[in-house]
Amino acid sequence: MWNRRFFIPIALATAFVLLAAAPKRYPPGDPVVLRYPAHWRKPDYDFSKNPLTRQGIELGRRLFYDPVLSRDSTISCASCHLSFTAFTHVDHALSHGIEDRIGRRNSPALMNLAWSRYFMWDGAVNHLDVQALAPIAHPAEMDEKLENVVRKLQTSTHYPTLFAEAFGDSRVTGERLLKALSQFEITLISANSKYDRMVAGQDTFSAQEQNGYRIFQKNCASCHAEPFFTNHTFEKNGLPLDTTLNDFGRMGITQDPVDSLRFNVPTLRNIEFSYPYMHDGRFRKLRDVLNHYGTTTALNRRIELTANEKTDLHTFLLTLTDREFLFNQDFSFPKK
Amino acid sequence: MLLLLPITAAAQELAVWFQPVLQGQKLVLNEPLRTAAGDTITVHTLRFYLSNIVFSNNGARVFSEINSHHLLDLEDEDTPGIRVDLPAGTEGFTEIQFDLGIDSLTNTAGAMGGDLDPTNGMYWAWQSGYINVKIEGVSPRCPARNHEFQFHLGGYLPPFQSVQTVRLPVPKTQNLLVDFDLTAFFEQVDWAKKSGIMSPGAEAVRLSEVLSKAFRVHVE
Repeated sequence: MWNRRFFIPIALATAFVLLAAAPKRYPPGDPVVLRYPAHWRKPDYDFSKNPLTRQGIELGRRLFYDPVLSRDSTISCASCHLSFTAFTHVDHALSHGIEDRIGRRNSPALMNLAWSRYFMWDGAVNHLDVQALAPIAHPAEMDEKLENVVRKLQTSTHYPTLFAEAFGDSRVTGERLLKALSQFEITLISANSKYDRMVAGQDTFSAQEQNGYRIFQKNCASCHAEPFFTNHTFEKNGLPLDTTLNDFGRMGITQDPVDSLRFNVPTLRNIEFSYPYMHDGRFRKLRDVLNHYGTTTALNRRIELTANEKTDLHTFLLTLTDREFLFNQDFSFPKK
Repeated sequence: MLLLLPITAAAQELAVWFQPVLQGQKLVLNEPLRTAAGDTITVHTLRFYLSNIVFSNNGARVFSEINSHHLLDLEDEDTPGIRVDLPAGTEGFTEIQFDLGIDSLTNTAGAMGGDLDPTNGMYWAWQSGYINVKIEGVSPRCPARNHEFQFHLGGYLPPFQSVQTVRLPVPKTQNLLVDFDLTAFFEQVDWAKKSGIMSPGAEAVRLSEVLSKAFRVHVE
């Protein structure tokens, strides 16, 4: 039984201790404003639910490069998304993950993700925040459970502090982990290629590049729409089914036969570095891609180009290379 | 004591408990139950989302819960429940409405926390979307490996939206016990055709509809 005489002093003392023991409040993080060209539309990503901060981006960057996300700590996001090759798995038709297991698709290049509403080749993922769940859980990629990743991070020596700096307290949750990854990935903006500088009036195209640009606009831009070089939809580009993979693309998600062999239109930005091409990496050279579009009967019309026109188009596509993006120190392996 | 009591308008806390039953018997995890067909069913996991809770009085909405998403897990409690704080003045209601599952807006809103955190085992990894209802266990009639059945009912994309709105007339305005009767669900499962569902589709919708009719206010 409480002794009434002591109760109030004890209650007050308890209240004081509770205040003193309240978790240390970190600053909510230094706000970061996403920078992108003025003529781009507003991002689709809803920043009100995940405001960018320097600390959140830095935490996301560490997570992106940390193999702790995988079951045996061997595979990180960067294993298949290397910064120097536009964040894709260069030279691998099908990407490989944990224990050298081979997946069934070519890892996509990552850039300008705040303007995408669907992710993965079939659009299986509907929001950037939840994209990382797919590679973490996939048996041929990281083969891990999000619950285990959260546990590993919570008991690590340094992550609780980083989570506190980014989110106000040291609790690691699935939501926070995913939102930090989104923050870093959103900063991967490619907008300073020769093409971009030409559009901004800071550079000029050669006659060959200009002619290639004209050919591009006439033949390719309906799907690979500027300035993102994708229309962010699912299209059928005439590739025959690879019966060793039986990948029907978007139909696997919608279960609608109309979507059979429709795939997410990839951006052409930095295409010089994102080979091999197509959802299954079946084409090693850009020339193979142009040849495919010249011969397929599945499109509304064949894109028949002369050898010279192909060379000009190829030259234009190289103007989409953004070296500032590819070699940006803020995007590479964290230093400490 | 007075010092510690907050001075607020008298909100009424109301609890709604959900009692899973099968064949008129209380369903307890890992305890086999016999069905009318002579089958035995042992449920290992029963988890489901209730969301968008609304109280109405003769058709007029008297209370809608904000951020209304609750994960109920039989692992946590034999009779899992939800508690809502009804503001003063909402004592009179004749109906509770809730969604069994997660609506499409929430399904496309990115990563969320608490009961909606993807670490709860109720979010698909390979394809975005919440699992509305998870029922796992064993039955000798189930032809799958080790006779294990797994029903992960979900999906928000048309035409296979599986979230179900449930409207329950309630006879009284105190704490409620609601039976969640899985008898019809297991009668509707054709073991020869399906021992599990792990993706959205027509069958997930059909069985979700069966489950939407499984709620009844408990009568002693």
